[in-house]
Amino acid sequence: MQLPFNRAQPEIMHIDLNSCFATVEQQARPLLRNRPVGITNRKTTFSCIIAASYEAKAFGVKVGMRSDEALRLAPGMVIVETDPPKYHYVYQKLMAIMRSYSPDVTMKSIDEGVIDFHGTRQHLNARPLADIGMEIKQRLKDDVGCWMKCNIGIAPNRFLAKQAASLHKPDGLDIINHANLRSTLFGLSLTDLSGIAERNQARLNAAGIYTPLQFLDASSETLHRLVFHSVCGDDWYQKLRGWEVDNHESQVRSVGRQYVLEDSHLSQEAVNARLAYLCESTGVRLRSKDLCARGILVYARYSSGDYWYNRKMFKTTFYSNAEIYRRAILVFNRRPVDSEVKEIGVTCYGLEPSLNNQMSLLDEVNKERWLSNTIDSINQQYGEFTLTFASSFSSRSIVKQKIPFGGTQYLALLSHS
Amino acid sequence: MEDVITLNQDVMIVAYYFKDKDQPKCFPKRMEYEGKQVVFTETGLRHPTHKGQRMVHVFDMTDGSADYRLEFDAMSLIWKLVYIADASYAAAI
Repeated sequence: MQLPFNRAQPEIMHIDLNSCFATVEQQARPLLRNRPVGITNRKTTFSCIIAASYEAKAFGVKVGMRSDEALRLAPGMVIVETDPPKYHYVYQKLMAIMRSYSPDVTMKSIDEGVIDFHGTRQHLNARPLADIGMEIKQRLKDDVGCWMKCNIGIAPNRFLAKQAASLHKPDGLDIINHANLRSTLFGLSLTDLSGIAERNQARLNAAGIYTPLQFLDASSETLHRLVFHSVCGDDWYQKLRGWEVDNHESQVRSVGRQYVLEDSHLSQEAVNARLAYLCESTGVRLRSKDLCARGILVYARYSSGDYWYNRKMFKTTFYSNAEIYRRAILVFNRRPVDSEVKEIGVTCYGLEPSLNNQMSLLDEVNKERWLSNTIDSINQQYGEFTLTFASSFSSRSIVKQKIPFGGTQYLALLSHS
Repeated sequence: MEDVITLNQDVMIVAYYFKDKDQPKCFPKRMEYEGKQVVFTETGLRHPTHKGQRMVHVFDMTDGSADYRLEFDAMSLIWKLVYIADASYAAAI
């Protein structure tokens, strides 16, 4: 395959909120501004930093670092616990701003999204996208707050637009097109490219590719046969040249939750209570998507570093909290019990559309459905986990709502507290 | 770690209501708390959230020396002081 560079006008805009959660916390609490701030899901010594402010990053604090390590690097750092409804509000504001320019908006995660301007330029009086980008930055400040900043990248495809958005952090605006593609890639290393981490870098190095420009100049056959050994090579060949390959939507294949136990010396009963809570939370997510599952996977990570998982596929589908828990505990009880559990997780897979609107011939099935629907209605009316398992009641104040990083499919559930 | 004092107490608030670019806005100006008066100087962020089907407006405010979180229950019209994040940690830096 031989493709030239895409010479079309750049019409894809990638918007990325800078250090999103930390910036939102600094926006909400003015006294945190210009200070190193780290965001964690739980305020414990071993919890990891899921977002760090630019001031914290200047001390060397990185996302994924443990809180105690981060505090050693930045002794005055303020650790703040996540506040999902706040981030959901900012996400909604950002989405509303983006949708006012084009109907083709894809939110890639809670803090980044893509606007496709194809076919909309006439309605925007053919304004340059750089102008629109500056306007979006200002609207974000007007609608959310003066501390909010975002990076904007404009390019002919999603990959290059994301790359452009990462060139000048924070608060940058960059355009990549066929004219400046080579000069832009010249200043970068392979791992600066979105999607290239250590393993892909090693693959490229093994084929004699050490720089993004060599990557760009490599043939489609080399990337397919020598580097990636799959169609991924062809995708990379196209997207480096500005052709679109990432405009597909992924389907939900599994639904689950995991939790790092607050104490590794918890009793068996307490661990089961945390698992019950995770099952309820998984059930809410499953039913919010009108899905039911056939398979369940449960895992445990031990203090010793060992990892155990087991899964089971069932003949019948399930969706209610009680059924998820019953099946999860069946699998969980098979684990080795010679070491202390540090982390647990439950995942439902083998997903199918729910048959909730069709009555069953079996009375038992209908009763379970009515009970599940009634519990969900009460929880919607009076707040989540108002009606809950007695066994998981103790976990309610301990296990916190988490931020779904990878996708935006459960963000609607964050607006409730 | 920061110094957050969780209170969840009902408080008296004097608030301004006005329009800014045709958008209705609310600014809680003064709070009476334990016999003291706190005068807010800035709203950090105002965001709505749901508690069940009740709409609660969360205001993150500051008076310049501490950050305060207030909640206004749109159904019962009650203001609640959720926490005070004291600025004393700032002095330690």
